[in-house]
Amino acid sequence: MARAEAAAELLLSPSVVPTAEVLALVPGRVVGLEGPPGLGLTRLGLSMLATVAGRGPVAYVDVRGWLCPPAAWELGIDPGRLIVVRCDDPVTWGRVVTGLLEGMQAVYAEVPARMKDAQLRKLAAMTRSRRTPLVLRPVQGSLPSGVAHLRLAGKEIEWEGAGAGFGRLAARRLVMEATGKVMRGMARTIEVEDDGTHAVRVVSGLGAAPAGRTAG
Amino acid sequence: MWYPDWALRRPDAPQDEPAQAVGEGNRIVAVNAAAATAGVVVGMRRREAEAICPTVTTLQADPGAEAVAFEPVVQGVEGLIPRVELSAPGLLLVPVTGAMRFYGDEAALLDRVAKELDSITGDGYRIGLAAGPFAAQRAAELANAEQPVFRVADDAGFLQTLDISAVGKEELAATFRWLGITTLGELAALPREAMVSRFGNEGIAAHRMARGEDRVTHARNVPPDLDVEERFSPPLDNLEQAAFVGRSLAHRLLGDPALRGAIPHRVTVEVEAADGKVRTRTWRNADPFDELTLAERVRWQLRAWLDESQLRSGPGIRGGVVRIRLAPADISDQGRQLALHEDAQTAAEAHRTLIQTQALVGPDQVLQARPQGGRDPGERMQWHRWGEEPAGEARDVASPWPGSVPAPIPALTPSKPPVLEVDWDEGIPVRIRLGSRWVEVVSWAGPWRKVGRWWEGEPAADRYQLVTSAGAFLCEVREGRTYMTGVYD
Repeated sequence: MARAEAAAELLLSPSVVPTAEVLALVPGRVVGLEGPPGLGLTRLGLSMLATVAGRGPVAYVDVRGWLCPPAAWELGIDPGRLIVVRCDDPVTWGRVVTGLLEGMQAVYAEVPARMKDAQLRKLAAMTRSRRTPLVLRPVQGSLPSGVAHLRLAGKEIEWEGAGAGFGRLAARRLVMEATGKVMRGMARTIEVEDDGTHAVRVVSGLGAAPAGRTAG
Repeated sequence: MWYPDWALRRPDAPQDEPAQAVGEGNRIVAVNAAAATAGVVVGMRRREAEAICPTVTTLQADPGAEAVAFEPVVQGVEGLIPRVELSAPGLLLVPVTGAMRFYGDEAALLDRVAKELDSITGDGYRIGLAAGPFAAQRAAELANAEQPVFRVADDAGFLQTLDISAVGKEELAATFRWLGITTLGELAALPREAMVSRFGNEGIAAHRMARGEDRVTHARNVPPDLDVEERFSPPLDNLEQAAFVGRSLAHRLLGDPALRGAIPHRVTVEVEAADGKVRTRTWRNADPFDELTLAERVRWQLRAWLDESQLRSGPGIRGGVVRIRLAPADISDQGRQLALHEDAQTAAEAHRTLIQTQALVGPDQVLQARPQGGRDPGERMQWHRWGEEPAGEARDVASPWPGSVPAPIPALTPSKPPVLEVDWDEGIPVRIRLGSRWVEVVSWAGPWRKVGRWWEGEPAADRYQLVTSAGAFLCEVREGRTYMTGVYD
């Protein structure tokens, strides 16, 4: 009961943004997904693309050449609407992503290592002017501050379904920390659930308690 | 003029044994005499053909190479009769009315053409003479080695007797058959209004063909400003570069608002070489050209001309290409129609964007995938270049695929799976090494056994799902080593 009251109070607070709204792709907004492979951030990014893929083609800029499109199809992206562009050259990468912002409904781009901060900032400015949503996923490290309107950093992952040699992976619960301009200066913990066959669901729709103010 | 075995006129095709060439959708596009004797016919499915003739050798058709080889034939015929139209490598359409007057009569013309073809390719050609291209093609199909020329006096009368499958579209033919229409004559007898209301553009096209009216009856004169052209300095000498420009020209031509949804059945490709020589070739298609079909024809033609110099079989394009022009003709109103939910501007922007991306990273790096069956996640898709059809047939998704890894599918599958260090304790994974640190395995599932193609030396493998605090991974153990084949990211 106390928890429900706290949640309701939190929702009524003008500084808190509903989680589903936070995770929605908005034209001109840059979302940064940070964390090592294995946390489920690719799938989260693909589920974001799936929400706009019904309107037209979406692009995935694949730096490592590792994307497995059936995972995207599983999330509801039509095979004919998913364009995969392989590019690992940091020089060409910026031009490719900028170009894709012109004609795609949304772009998910892995960021190669050794990308210059200035180039990423320029890209963020281009995204705002092109009014196309962009999801950035650094292959190594994190994005420089001020690039992403929303930064989602994977913190914990918990899998269900597999045991000691029996069962199979069935559902996952991912805990992330959300920061950035979209969060209005707050850092929040967001928890999403994914059972592997449907779109990613936000579990903590009311949001956890604010973890404190962010520096930038 | 038609060469039924043109796709098989290549060095790797067996001469005395049954052989067939397969094209798009694993359909037979060419058969040699031995295969034809066994009952294999053009248009048949590959499986069906192999069931009829198990010893048949199957080759993949290569229209680009076939166009290169066909170029001397086109030039030879063009030397006798102007305004030659290429429909496909091995299939030529030639207007003969004027040429018959020039050479005296039909027999004299045929004699000249036969001598020319004999000198270039030897026998094996078929000639169909009719008023329209559709009837002429069907007539050429009825010609044989003993009687290589088949004359049609009355197109409508000749077409009446043909089976409904001659419309060329399998599904449409099946629907007609289901409605009790089994010949083109029965189809031609139907009122055109009924065809329009029931079958739309496809129905009109079939009806026109059945009545022998497949020449576009409402052809309009095309104003010259519809031509699209690109100039190059320095000249292009690379096929890929030239073909890429050809593709963007095709996009410009068919996307021109001046066409207002109309579309050409005939396009003339004109290329100027650095030495000033201009070469032209006209391509015709029974269906209106779409962008892919047109870009494909332009590529074949450019390859044929550019390869001439290397093969020393013709003048080629000396010094490279300085200008490419596409000129449309036979504009018809059977144009493209976007679906109601599609926005023309969005589609055009996406197309333009992807063409630019191809220019930046190369066509091999802009990809799409289509689903197919397979045991491993990485096998369940077939990659192909954006804008092109996938090569080969996809494996059946609905097949059982025993030993396949269950859902969810890992979002990342390394193309070259790295070796993963796993600490095993009596067959139980205890910990794995991720970078420089060891991570404990929290839970695991499997193994799913994959039995390899042992007759090809492929080893069997066991697949495991390993869950750690850092994430879940799909691993494959084969020949004593563990590989990371997927990351559930």
